[in-house]
Amino acid sequence: MYFLIIALGFLLAMRGARFVLLPRPAEGLKRVWREAADFFLTTSLILALWAFAMVFEKIQANAREYAILGFGVTAYLLSRYQKKTDVFFLSALASVFMISSKQCDLSQDVLLAGVLSAGVGIFQTCFLGLRYKLLFSHVPAPMKGWPVLCLLAGFIALVLGCPWGPVF
Amino acid sequence: MKLPERLFSRMLLAYLPFTVYPYGFFRAGVAALWIVAFLWVTVAFFWFTRRLFPERSLKPAFFFWLIVWAQAAWTLTKLPPYWIASVFFLAPVSFLEDTAKPNHVRVFSGEVSRSQCQSIEAKRRLGPSKLPFWKRKKKFGRYFFERALAGLGFVGFVIMLSLVREIAEKRLGIHAFEQPAGMLLVIAVVAFLWKNQPYQKHG
Repeated sequence: MYFLIIALGFLLAMRGARFVLLPRPAEGLKRVWREAADFFLTTSLILALWAFAMVFEKIQANAREYAILGFGVTAYLLSRYQKKTDVFFLSALASVFMISSKQCDLSQDVLLAGVLSAGVGIFQTCFLGLRYKLLFSHVPAPMKGWPVLCLLAGFIALVLGCPWGPVF
Repeated sequence: MKLPERLFSRMLLAYLPFTVYPYGFFRAGVAALWIVAFLWVTVAFFWFTRRLFPERSLKPAFFFWLIVWAQAAWTLTKLPPYWIASVFFLAPVSFLEDTAKPNHVRVFSGEVSRSQCQSIEAKRRLGPSKLPFWKRKKKFGRYFFERALAGLGFVGFVIMLSLVREIAEKRLGIHAFEQPAGMLLVIAVVAFLWKNQPYQKHG
């Protein structure tokens, strides 16, 4: 779960939005948490539909066998309906697959979806804040771009991994 | 010879979903080879068939193709579907557009003379559909070459990082490499070296 949070947090921070509101961090922060809430609701809805399908014994076997197909199509349609990016759809599919593979009941699944969305939101908030601080510091030219972004992501992953590792 | 930064960003973004797999060196290499083989098949398939799809359904068809193959790979080999995100980042969906063409920035940077620039601009103005068949065929070759290079680069990138992880985690016992943090710090070093690679002029 922790690996997925870091991977998705970094991916969504880099490619999750069509534009980045770096000079206006307050708006960027609002966007990050709105996206995290949307992510939570989307994954929870797919998990609820999955749990609903599991109630009927006749379709249970097929639903289990073609779970990825079902998750993928539902995640794609929900992402398109909300006019989200392609990365959002792929992230939702990956999250739902990971949570469903733990085979818990619906309440635990929703709780895991909440933890995952919150983790992604926290990662993106830290990333946005550090990127904003870097705007006003003199980063040497050879370090600008991917080197400094990977370094920031690495440090955030290190910090999130220490105290909250057991939580994730 | 200087490799473009675009290639690095593609490899890096494709590698991120890959970090979720708890694979060792060998299995990571096999999974990376599968991703690249699938990428090449996908690019070739959609290059030749994209005109058969209605314009608005091309992108959904691409994603449906990915989902169906994710399901097939899971059924046959129990490979979790995170790899389709890697394929997506290696083959950005812009290649589905009818006007898709290779970027005119060279893969290996070199000086482009004024006359070459003018001829490239003229070809761009002409558009792909108006080009004669033999020139379009050449374009496909170059287009596919860029994708082939991205795929090979991705496999190399995965093998290198898996090797570093194997050594640092198992031989040296560095705990940071049990987490994504260690790998991200290694990637930062690679990104630094990639960005500051020396430029050497040939001839």
